[in-house]
Formats: sequence, structure tokens, C-alpha cells
Amino acid sequence: MHTFDPVNFRGQFEFFLQNPGWVYLDNAATMHKPRAVVSAVNDFYQRSNSNVHRGAHNLSQHATRLFEQARDDIAAFINAKERQQIIFCSGATAALNQIAYGLMHTVLQPGDRVLITALEHHANIVPWHLHCVRFGVQLDVVPLTNDYQVDQTAFAQLLEKKPKVVSFSHVSNVLGHVQPVAEMVQLAKNAGAITVIDGAQGIVHEKLDVQALDADFYVWSSHKLYGPTGTGVLYGKTALLEQLTPIYGGGEMISEVQFSHSLFNILPFRLEAGTPDIAGVIGMAAAVNWLQKFNIDEIKEYKAMLLKQFFSGLSQIPGLDILSSPVHNAGIVTLNVQGEHPADVAELLSQQAVAVRGGQHCAMPLFNQLKLAGAVRFSFAPYNTEADVATSLHALTQAVEILTA
Amino acid sequence: MTLDQLLADTRPALSQIYAEDLPELSQAKDWQSKYRILMLLGRKLPPIPEKMKQPSLLVKGCESRAWLMHYYNQHQDQHFFVLDSEARIVKGLMAIMLCLVNGMSNTELKKFELEHAFDKLNLKPYLSQSRGSGLNAMMASIKDCCR
Repeated sequence: MHTFDPVNFRGQFEFFLQNPGWVYLDNAATMHKPRAVVSAVNDFYQRSNSNVHRGAHNLSQHATRLFEQARDDIAAFINAKERQQIIFCSGATAALNQIAYGLMHTVLQPGDRVLITALEHHANIVPWHLHCVRFGVQLDVVPLTNDYQVDQTAFAQLLEKKPKVVSFSHVSNVLGHVQPVAEMVQLAKNAGAITVIDGAQGIVHEKLDVQALDADFYVWSSHKLYGPTGTGVLYGKTALLEQLTPIYGGGEMISEVQFSHSLFNILPFRLEAGTPDIAGVIGMAAAVNWLQKFNIDEIKEYKAMLLKQFFSGLSQIPGLDILSSPVHNAGIVTLNVQGEHPADVAELLSQQAVAVRGGQHCAMPLFNQLKLAGAVRFSFAPYNTEADVATSLHALTQAVEILTA
Repeated sequence: MTLDQLLADTRPALSQIYAEDLPELSQAKDWQSKYRILMLLGRKLPPIPEKMKQPSLLVKGCESRAWLMHYYNQHQDQHFFVLDSEARIVKGLMAIMLCLVNGMSNTELKKFELEHAFDKLNLKPYLSQSRGSGLNAMMASIKDCCR
């Protein structure tokens, strides 16, 4: 029996009441927040504001309980074995930087190899340059097939070079393609590599069970999962988290400091220097607790239905180059109007109150490979409606007409 | 093609845009016609040939790539420009901007305020955030040419 009610779901978001005129299809950039998240953040500041893990006073203890409860909630959400495997950070970018920095000189040595794919976001490329390649680590890249999927044959071949680390995205932020993550993790593990999954776009797509997936690291940003900006999660296997050199030093992350040296605290605190984004973390947990009131499989089905309608409408519009495949797609459609610059298309859509993103989507190497100046990205969320699909298709038709007149 | 030729071709195009297209743009009845005019207007500017688009001419901070060339006539204290963009709407807006500043003296160019000028032409809505970043970046590059 279907229990997912799209009207009720959309009704959870104050933003759409305040902005009824906008068709928001920039969900891959950031999602809107349900009232449950906004009020959790609000409530914390109004009733419970205090620093965590310090101060004997009851207020601080209360804030600490809320904060650590959030860790338990997130751990349960992804089925982590232990709560200390959840490291709070500012988002996927911070997490990937911590991993690349933390593995260098502990696990990774000059001359070792790291393997990524050709469709990675800059956040899964630049940290490897910054923290590893400049110390002599070699970065290999799995190419794409002609239909813009990660070339699995090439992936298997590059694994023969014995990379120490294999890092790739669960879902491409540009194309929406869902990678065969479980298979790729298994292949990488068989080759003896540490696996890092950039879940920025993947976490919202399907239920994650980190124990079943068995990846060594999985990271995401809260704001792409109905939560506040500025906070996110680095999940890791305990033994590896213990080997990461902390990228930040400061308060909370130490057990002893002398002027000559410091000794690090236990997990998770050794990787959480400074006062954390307490309200953000509480909001992030509120988001996942709220989300679990809905049937995640039904949400996925609903989004797939919107996507199908959108693809079917696109086939009626002449002169489009559609880059995304409708198969194994997490709800992102990237396209170009033939011969036109994506900035022009995005501007004409914005003029019609359809919010999309035009450009290179923080994936310059991918666009260099595709020999494109960029593309226009439509990204869907379960609070979008069939009317949103119809309006955006109409707006795109108008844009094409104006551009090709 | 040389910079001299480009400058010579750009000047009459700008005069025409100023005299004919700007009044038409301000009278356009709906957004569709406004954008159609903007795109036509961009097409009137002679494009910088591919061979001349050196990386040093790229204007930093634009979402789409844009190029700027400059000539300063010292005797008459006048700045002249040639520009191009790969996005048509941006190029149209940049053409309007160029109408306003081409031939300005050093002092005039330093004092020029794009927002104020666009406001007077009822074009301020086009200076939206993302759009603005490209236009403002071009404006900044033009101002950098001041002595």
C-alpha cells in the first residue's frame, strides 16, 4: 500500500509557502529544509544554547546530551556499528580534505597511487592534489564510456596498478548517474585498496547501510539531505579513523598539551577540533529523524516518476543534447540546447522562475573531457510536483524558441 | 584582423546600438522581446577572431568566458575597447555597457558607475547576481585600464 503523499510532503516546507512562484530544480546544489529542521535549530538557540563537552553546569550537559544524541541518530540512520565512527565536520569537502590529509604519511607514502574517476566533483580531486600529489602520490583517473558512465573495464584494469586508495562518488553531481557502488567497493577491496565514497549526492538517493556496503569511508553534507548548511559527516572504519592525522588542531581534540607536543584525544573527538556547529548537528539529526517518518523507497519511486515525466517531455523539445541517462539516475538531468551557451539557457529559465544551475558544476575535468563549455542541470527532489515538471518543460521550450528564433 | 580594424568596426556598431536598440529595448513590451533584442544587439558587435583570443585577454570572474581588448589614445585622452563573450545574453549586456564607456576619458571612466547608468536605462533588473558577476567582472577589467 502506498502511503507517500506528495502534497503532504511538500507541505512540510515553509519555503514553498513563502515562494509559491518558484519552480526549484537546483536540489543538487542545496535542498530546502522542512519545518522540523528549522525549529530544531531554533529551539536549540532559544532554549538550550550552551557549549558542549565542557562546563559542569547543567545547561552544558543538556547541550552535550542533544549533540551526542545526534551522533547516535546519525549512526543509526546509516547503520554504523559504533557511534564514534560518526565524525562531525563542515561537510563533504571538509571530510574529503581530512581523509586525504589524514592518510598522507600514515597510510599513503610518496610513490603510492590513488584512483578516482573522471566524473568527480572538485572536492574529490583537489584535496588529493593538495595533500597527496604534491608529496609524490600518483593520481590515476578511471575514464568514462561513450554514454558517460564510469568505464568498469578500465576501473578493473587500473586496480591492477594496486592503488592504496580508491575514491569515487556514489552519484555524479553533474549527470545524476548512480554508480554500482557495492560492486566497485568490492573490487577495490579485493585489490587491497582503502575505499572512500563521496556521498554528497548519494545519501539522499537511497537508504545507506554502511555495514552492508563495507566501504572504509563515506562522507556527505547535511544541506543536501534536508539539513542545515555548514555541517556534515565523515563516517569511517574505526581502525582507519584512528590512523588519520587530524587536519585541525585545537580545543577538544587533545588529551594533553605541552609546549613541545600534544597527545590526541580518543575518537570521535580527535577529529573534531574546536567548538562544533552544535545547532547545525542537531538540525542535521532532526532532518534524518524527520525523513525516516516517510517510506524512503516510495520517495524514490515518486522521484523516479517525476524524472520519467521530465525525460518524456524533453523528447518533445527539438534541438537538445541530453547528457544524462534515464537509467540508474538519482534525479538529475543535464543538457544543452544545441549551439547555445548554458549560461544563456539558465538565464532564460531563471527569467521564468525556474531555478536551475548552468555551468561546469565544479567538475571542470569532466567538461574538458566532454569538450563542452558547461551544461544546464535540472535536479529534482521529492517535494517537486508534476506541475513543476510541466512548468519547467514549458519554460525550456520558451527558452529554446527565443534562442533559436 | 588587427586590433585597429576591430576598434574601427566596433565604433559604428556601438553608435547604432545606442541610437536604435536602446530605445527599442526600453519600449519592449514583454521579457521575451527584451531578450530577443539583447541577443540581436550582442550579434552586432564584431566578434574577436578565435586566433586573437589569447588567455591573457580572458576576464576573470565570469561564468561564461569573456575577452577584453583595450586601446588608449593618449593625445586625445580616450579609452577604446573591443569585447566578446561566448554567452549571447551576456554579450548583449556587455555591448550596452560598452556603448556607455567607449571613448571615455580617463577621468570619466574612473567616475563611471555601471549600476547608476543601468538604472537610468531601466536595465537594473539585468544586473541580477549571477549576471552581475560577469558584467561587474567586465566592468572591473575595463576600469583597470585607467591610468
